[in-house]
Amino acid sequence: MFSQGGLSLEQAPPISVVLRFFVTASIFGVLLGIFILFSNLNLLSSTQYSFELIVVHTLSLGVMASFMLGAMFQMLPVIAGVVIKMATKKAMVAHILLVIGIFLQIGAFKTGSSLLYLATAIILGSGLLHASTLMLKELIKVKNHSSSSKGMVFALSSFILAIIFGIFMLLVLGGYIDGSFFSQIKEVHYSFALFGWITLLIISISFQVVEMFYVTPKYPNIMSRYLVISLFLLLILKMIILFSGLDAIIVNIILALLFILYATITIMRLYKRRRPTSDATVWFWRLGMSFLIITSSIMLVNSSNETIKDISYITFIGFALSIVFAMVYKIVPFLVWFHLSNQGYMEAPMMHDVIHPKKAKIHFYIHISLFSLWIINIFFDIFLLKILLDILLISSFGLLLYNLLYAINKYRYTQRNFEPIKW
Amino acid sequence: MKKILLDARELEHPIPLQLALNHLQKMDLDEFLYMIHRKNPIPLIEIAKEKNYAYLSHNHKDIWHILICKNINSNLEELLDV
Repeated sequence: MFSQGGLSLEQAPPISVVLRFFVTASIFGVLLGIFILFSNLNLLSSTQYSFELIVVHTLSLGVMASFMLGAMFQMLPVIAGVVIKMATKKAMVAHILLVIGIFLQIGAFKTGSSLLYLATAIILGSGLLHASTLMLKELIKVKNHSSSSKGMVFALSSFILAIIFGIFMLLVLGGYIDGSFFSQIKEVHYSFALFGWITLLIISISFQVVEMFYVTPKYPNIMSRYLVISLFLLLILKMIILFSGLDAIIVNIILALLFILYATITIMRLYKRRRPTSDATVWFWRLGMSFLIITSSIMLVNSSNETIKDISYITFIGFALSIVFAMVYKIVPFLVWFHLSNQGYMEAPMMHDVIHPKKAKIHFYIHISLFSLWIINIFFDIFLLKILLDILLISSFGLLLYNLLYAINKYRYTQRNFEPIKW
Repeated sequence: MKKILLDARELEHPIPLQLALNHLQKMDLDEFLYMIHRKNPIPLIEIAKEKNYAYLSHNHKDIWHILICKNINSNLEELLDV
């Protein structure tokens, strides 16, 4: 979309590569909402432990990883000038293994079956490693890195470490290997997944897209150059400290301070837009950054209070999903219009016809209601509120799924009903 | 030649690309697009290359001047306004 490197547009992947992942992520979101609703209505029974594992992994892999891998397949060629040969085939392999692997993992967490744990480790592990290593391999070859492309290297490296530790834990849970250092590995696994993969990727991409999408002043050079590598090194240091049997509280405090600094600067950048217009994606960015500040502030306090900890988990999810939604509502209308326009369709729908900004605003209202009520529910734990939350969760992903399918339909309609011109 | 001026310095991505492509698709042989932008719009230039348009991208005091026209033999340097 906005390469500074030089790229032939023919090297950009077909629109189906990205949309496949985005639609899958939305379906997993809807399924997750249905699963939680049925569990709350006692129509599905599972232990608290397996329930939490299923929810966390459906959200982090089914939803987040699907969105982020889809976005990466699109952004690598345009942000970093990286060419993934046979992107359609490779994305399809990753996609199939990811989807099958997630269902196997849900089965493994639900039943505790050793065989399912092994199958998950092999299929989900190979799918995720396939996608992440092929991207990392190409990114490393880039000669002139931008702060975004360099940041992606660290985000992907974090993802690979999180996957490897995840595979290890699956094999331990399946009873195939000894579970030494299990609790340390668990903490390292989620640190690399949440703060490494998800947060580093968002930070890296923001250095390019915030300025580009919203015409803001640039991030300070020191931040765009050194923040991501500093965060990655802190995560490595945290891993070493944890394996040495020491407490990593100091590292967590530094991580939290850096996240707060980054989120504050991003919010300030968004307030300094040259042409401030009402746009739901800006609201998603501001909300996401505010959530990151709350999560990080709680990390800073290092409270042992379970209620406070629960709020930090919810706000982290809110942070990640807000940014993902902001990106999806920018990327999808652009891709539909751009691919059709470049194919020569004079009738290519304009971006606001692909997904109308009002639809994104409605989604924002559902999203902010969901997270506000979720936090309120921690204090009151009311059954009806829980059910309302589940309905909001299903509605949030359901609306996104509808908007994506509508965009796909617009794309196909234009291709079927109009003749492209040669220009 | 008739100049189609597009000052995209304060336009959010991807509006500059959207407007520029609209102009390129409808452009006559005696017209040229003169775009002023805060970035060098690589995708737009790549499209111009692929469609065999004449193009020129010039940075002056941190502002990009991008000239594109359908007539491949045009001397765009003569039309540069810096």
